[in-house]
Amino acid sequence: MISEVGLRRFREIVPPLLDDAYTLAKWLSHSAVDAEDIVQDAALRALKALETTAVERPKPWFLTLVRNAAMTWMARNRPKNLSYAGDAADLDAIDARQGDDGAPDPERTLIALEDGERLRQAIADLPSPLLETLVMRDVNGLSYRDIAEATGAPIGTVMSRLARARGALAKTLKAEP
Amino acid sequence: MTDDPDDRTLRLNAALDGELDPMSALELERELRADPALAAECRRLEALRLAIGRHAPREGAPKALVDRIAALTAPVAPPSIATFPPARRPAWSGVRALALAASFAVLGFAVGVGLTTLRMQGASQGVAENLVSDFASAAIAGQPFDVASSDRHTVKPWLAGRTTVSASIVDLASQGFPLAGGRVAVVDRIPAPTLVYRHGEHLVALTELPLDARGARAGGGIETIDGYHVARWSDANLSYVAVSDMDEKTLADFVAAFRQAQKPAEEGR
Repeated sequence: MISEVGLRRFREIVPPLLDDAYTLAKWLSHSAVDAEDIVQDAALRALKALETTAVERPKPWFLTLVRNAAMTWMARNRPKNLSYAGDAADLDAIDARQGDDGAPDPERTLIALEDGERLRQAIADLPSPLLETLVMRDVNGLSYRDIAEATGAPIGTVMSRLARARGALAKTLKAEP
Repeated sequence: MTDDPDDRTLRLNAALDGELDPMSALELERELRADPALAAECRRLEALRLAIGRHAPREGAPKALVDRIAALTAPVAPPSIATFPPARRPAWSGVRALALAASFAVLGFAVGVGLTTLRMQGASQGVAENLVSDFASAAIAGQPFDVASSDRHTVKPWLAGRTTVSASIVDLASQGFPLAGGRVAVVDRIPAPTLVYRHGEHLVALTELPLDARGARAGGGIETIDGYHVARWSDANLSYVAVSDMDEKTLADFVAAFRQAQKPAEEGR
C-alpha cells in the first residue's frame, strides 16, 4: 500500500519531469508509443521507491529510472536491437553511409540546415551508449556526473562518448550539400 | 575503439558543456587562438548544438501519458466510469496491464475505504449499496461485465447457467441503450443476473432479483448513492435495481424503455 507521504513525493517529483522523461524514452526506444509505456513503467518504479526514499536530485534520479526502464523494455521487446557494442565498427558504418565530400563551409551548412530530419535520423542512428549520452546531455541537460551515474559509466567514458557522438553527427551533417 | 577522441577534443566538448575547471578553460582558450583547426572544430560543435536545440528539442509528453501518470496517485471521489471506456480499450501490453493493475490497486484501496463506511450506515439500503459498490468496482477494474455481447441470445444462456433467477433481457438498442454484456451480482448470497447496457460513454447495470430479496422492493423513484443514480422497481415476477453513472433523467428514460420493451417479451417467456 502506498502511503500518503509516498504519493506526495511522487506528485511533486514526477509530473514536472514527464517531458524530459518522454523525450529520453522516445529517443532510446525509437518509438513514441513505446516511450509512453516506458515512462509509465519508470513512474511505477518511482512510486514504489518514493515510498521509502526521499530524493535529493529528482531529475537525474528519475531519468535514470527511465533509462533503465528503456533498457529493460528494449531487451524484452526488441532483443535484436541490443546487439550494440558502441565500438568503432558502429561509427565506421556511419562514416561509410555518409561519405565525405569535404563540403567547403560546414558551419554554414549546419546553421542553414532547413530539414532537421537528417539530423534527427543521424541521432537515431547512433549506437545506444552514444545516443543515451548525447540525449541526456544535449536534450535533458544533465551534467557529466549525472550521466555517469545514470549509465553506470565513469566520467571519462561519458566524455569520450559525448565527443564521439558529436563527432559522428558533425560528420553526418558536413557531408550534406 | 580506434578513433578515440583526442584529449583536446574532450576538453573542447567539456568547455562547451561548462564542465571544464577555470584553469583548464583558460588554457584551452589560448590553444583555440593559436590553432585555427581547433577553432574550426569549436565552431562546428557550437553549430551542432544549435542544430540539436532547434531540430531535436525536448518534446512535450502526450496528454494521454500525463493523464496516466496522474491516475497513478489520483484520489477517488467518486470514481467516474466514463473515464474507463470498457470493451473498446485496445489490447494492453504486458507492462501497461501491470501498470494499470498497480494503479487500480491504489484506487481500489480508496474505494474500499469508502464502501466500508457506506455499509455501516444501516441495513435498509444494503442491497442497493452492494450493487452500487459492484458497479463502482467493476468500473474501476475496467470489467463492467463478465460476458461481453450485444446479443441477448448470448447473454441469456450465459446468465442462466450461473444464476437461479431467470433473467428478463430486452433489446433496447433502438432506444439508445445497446446491450453491452452481463455479469453475476451476489445479493444476500443469491447469484443474481445483471445486465449491462451502454449509453454513449455511460453504463447502466440492471440487476434482477427474486421478489423477496431484502430491500430490493423499495418503491419507485431514483435515489443517489455514493454519486451513482439508482432506480428500483418491481413487477409481478422480479425486483429490479438499476445502477448507473448516467444522469437522473437518462436513467429514468432507460427504466421506462426497459419496462415498455419487457411487455411483449414477457409473453414470449
